[in-house]
Amino acid sequence: MMSLNIALQNVKKSFKDYTIYFLTLTFGVCIFYIFNSIESQQAIMELTSSQSLALSTLSRMMDVVSAFISCILAFLIIYANGFLIKRRKKEFGIYMTLGMGKGRISRILICETVLVGILSLVTGLVLGIFLSQGMAIVTAGLIGANIKGFSFVFSPSAANDAIAYFGLTFIIVLAFNVITIRRQRLINLIYADRKNEHFKPPRLKLSICVFIAALILIISAYRTITRPGLFPTGPVISIAACLGVVGTFLFFFSLSGFFLKLLQQSKNVYLTRLNMFVLRQLNSKINTAYVSITFVCLMLFVAICTLSSGIGLTSAIKADMGKSAPYSATFTVAAQTDGADDSAQRYDGLDIAAALAADGIDINSFAREYLEARYYASDAKFMLNLHAGMPADMPIEYIKLSDYNRLLEMQGLPPITLEAEEFAVNCGMTGNLPRLVKESIGLNSALTLNGAALRTGPDLFMDNALETSPNGVYAIIFVVNDALLEGIPAARDTLHINYIADSGEYERLCVSSLKKLDLAAYLPGYSSARFSSGTETRTDVLEKTSEATTAIAYLAVYLGMIFLIASATVLAITQLSETSDNVRRYGLLRKLGADDRMIGGALFSQILIYFGAPLALALVHSAVGIGVAARLAGTLGEMSIIGSSVFTAGVIVLIYGGYFLSTYWGSKNIINKEYIQQRG
Amino acid sequence: MSVILKAHNIEKYYGNRNNLTKALDGISFDVDSGEYVGIMGASGSGKTTLLNCISTIDTVTSGQILIGGTDITSMGEKALSKFRRESLGFVFQDFNLLDTLTAFENIALALTIMKTPPRKIAARVNDVAAVLGIADVLSKYPYQMSGGQRQRVASARAIVTDPSLILADEPTGALDSKSARMLLESFQRLVAERGATILMVTHDAFSASYCGRILFIRDGRLFHQISRGRDSRKQFFDKIMEVVSLLGGDGSDVA
Repeated sequence: MMSLNIALQNVKKSFKDYTIYFLTLTFGVCIFYIFNSIESQQAIMELTSSQSLALSTLSRMMDVVSAFISCILAFLIIYANGFLIKRRKKEFGIYMTLGMGKGRISRILICETVLVGILSLVTGLVLGIFLSQGMAIVTAGLIGANIKGFSFVFSPSAANDAIAYFGLTFIIVLAFNVITIRRQRLINLIYADRKNEHFKPPRLKLSICVFIAALILIISAYRTITRPGLFPTGPVISIAACLGVVGTFLFFFSLSGFFLKLLQQSKNVYLTRLNMFVLRQLNSKINTAYVSITFVCLMLFVAICTLSSGIGLTSAIKADMGKSAPYSATFTVAAQTDGADDSAQRYDGLDIAAALAADGIDINSFAREYLEARYYASDAKFMLNLHAGMPADMPIEYIKLSDYNRLLEMQGLPPITLEAEEFAVNCGMTGNLPRLVKESIGLNSALTLNGAALRTGPDLFMDNALETSPNGVYAIIFVVNDALLEGIPAARDTLHINYIADSGEYERLCVSSLKKLDLAAYLPGYSSARFSSGTETRTDVLEKTSEATTAIAYLAVYLGMIFLIASATVLAITQLSETSDNVRRYGLLRKLGADDRMIGGALFSQILIYFGAPLALALVHSAVGIGVAARLAGTLGEMSIIGSSVFTAGVIVLIYGGYFLSTYWGSKNIINKEYIQQRG
Repeated sequence: MSVILKAHNIEKYYGNRNNLTKALDGISFDVDSGEYVGIMGASGSGKTTLLNCISTIDTVTSGQILIGGTDITSMGEKALSKFRRESLGFVFQDFNLLDTLTAFENIALALTIMKTPPRKIAARVNDVAAVLGIADVLSKYPYQMSGGQRQRVASARAIVTDPSLILADEPTGALDSKSARMLLESFQRLVAERGATILMVTHDAFSASYCGRILFIRDGRLFHQISRGRDSRKQFFDKIMEVVSLLGGDGSDVA
């Protein structure tokens, strides 16, 4: 009971010391809860079955990611706790000189940790429960669901997970603390605040060499990965990453020494106010700080990349959604032709509308308009210049010019015309593929079809979407004059439908009617394994797209935020602990007559450099990284960098900036407290 | 000679009405420009409190302290900072040098805080370094110097701004006897050659014997003062020892 009382007093007394610890825990728990409560959020949404399936898939995915995230948070909590213990060693030493046993001190510490832990767990959960209400609305927007009406949602499973994961972390922290206390010797505790500072004089010449080496490494990393014409593959990325990581390490190792040497050349800068002090201060700590700063920089890089490319990709996919669904629905019948000789195994196409009519299915009961189009099989391949000098084969299909023009007409697009032996290339996929196809057209000038040598050119490239489909099976279609396809086996038939009106009723009718078609009756001699059919509707396509975008957006924001918080916390803790190590130095500056503004300024610029330097390098890294990611993801969708960059910048300013300011205020407070104590 | 420091009836109380500690109990004295004054007293006599009050690090409960005609007891925080950097120089027992800065930079720091134009700094630092005999260690870091050199660097930092008053708190406390003697001789030279005014707190009679005048403090009151006059240092030292034995501190505990 006594231990609990002392612990309570201690927490009250050193509340400021606990602030960063408390903030980190609270943020961690809050974000953890929000992202794990997704499944419960559907309580307020009107969901189709596929949407609710998407949500539960997403929720399972979050479970896996959360296990990883909780490891990062556990590391952070232990790191923050280490800082607290270090600051309070002297206090523990005094307890011990008063005859308190180590067991007793451990008990006090356990009580304190548990108190702060419970407090932050509860605060984080409450905050998370409130914020997750807003998150539900965002989620609904992402997957395109309607809000049924507002009701307060609580997710017991998310709360349980949070309590379980953080409970486990606390137990690790407790064990860590007890072991730390047990291993301490009294003499070290009592003189903890007077430990010898192992000052090493800076080796400035070395710094300059290392700095130049670091720049060379970083630049060669950038060049490796952005070499024009080279499509970045696994080994290239690994080499660039290694160069980049080593370069970043060396960069931060030598940065302060380099600038110290540089600014020493300019007496006007170096010998003005506290500049000299600030530079020396930064330089003296860099031996220990560069490792953590490098990690912070790399974590920020990951955070910025995930946030902006995740969000960018999401909006890119969304922007392209209309493109993959030009008609209300597309019904496809595809069959294989093995050998041209075997007439029984040869697919010559099927008149779907006629077959439907024969089965007594009335298309006009749900379709305002409909259109059939036939695609023809081909052994020819399209050479795609994907990697420099390494063309890839892409399968192709043919379509008659007349069918093609009618498909365009149904979308309200003007028809095209072709010379007798000309063909046009159509690639209607989203993303980068159409551009690559257009660029590669020159490689495909010598094709023959039915004895005719076909010609094409870049001006004969189209990027029209021809069917409603979540992923174009045959991405590349050759449009040729009707006569040239005489006697060529068919590959598939498509029936494109626009509903009488956009409503679920017509869609259900459409899907169920098309299901009734007994295809086997119209394809005699085909085993059912050799042909397939299916209906894709615009609604399905859009929902599948939003599933993907929601998952990407969630993961990006979740991981990005955690990495951002992690890096800011590490910086805040190192800075605060450094300030408290340096209280005497600031006291001396005050005695030498430096006023509050000067000292505040020195502190501000130090902390600004600590926060700014890793962010600046991370931003440069990210600019390159996002560029590469955009190229890699190009086949998925063209990313809009600007919108997502604005979002990312906002998140960084809010979280990172918030940590920066609290660190500055906290540090100032540490210094002022000492001064006020001195002034009596 | 003009009066540089005028302490008038200063009091410093700690605690509350029921439990009052009078650290300073009505002390008054003057220090003239160019004087080398020592303050002696046993532990707990109030000598460090007195120095802290004069140095504006601590505040008095009542009374006035005038330095160069300005009352420092009624100054605001900003004015105090300005006053400290322009009119005071400090020398501490544990040197208080910044270990990350070279000797040159430690001395220059006092000037940069004063916003001295950068191009004038090197000349002024070299100037005081020559007087204090530390010109050859200017590029070294504190950990590369002896205790005596460190204390002379700290002294150089205190005087480089040409303060009207240098306050030294047990400056020889952490030095061996040879270094202590060199430092005290440097102080004498500063007074003689540069016209510095030094107020030094010490409990060591040997250090005090270098001063021109000694103030003895006991229980927060000015107990006695003696001037060296034309005495040799040995004679002055013996006089100091007599008063010290009367003070009831240090050497006289056995009596």
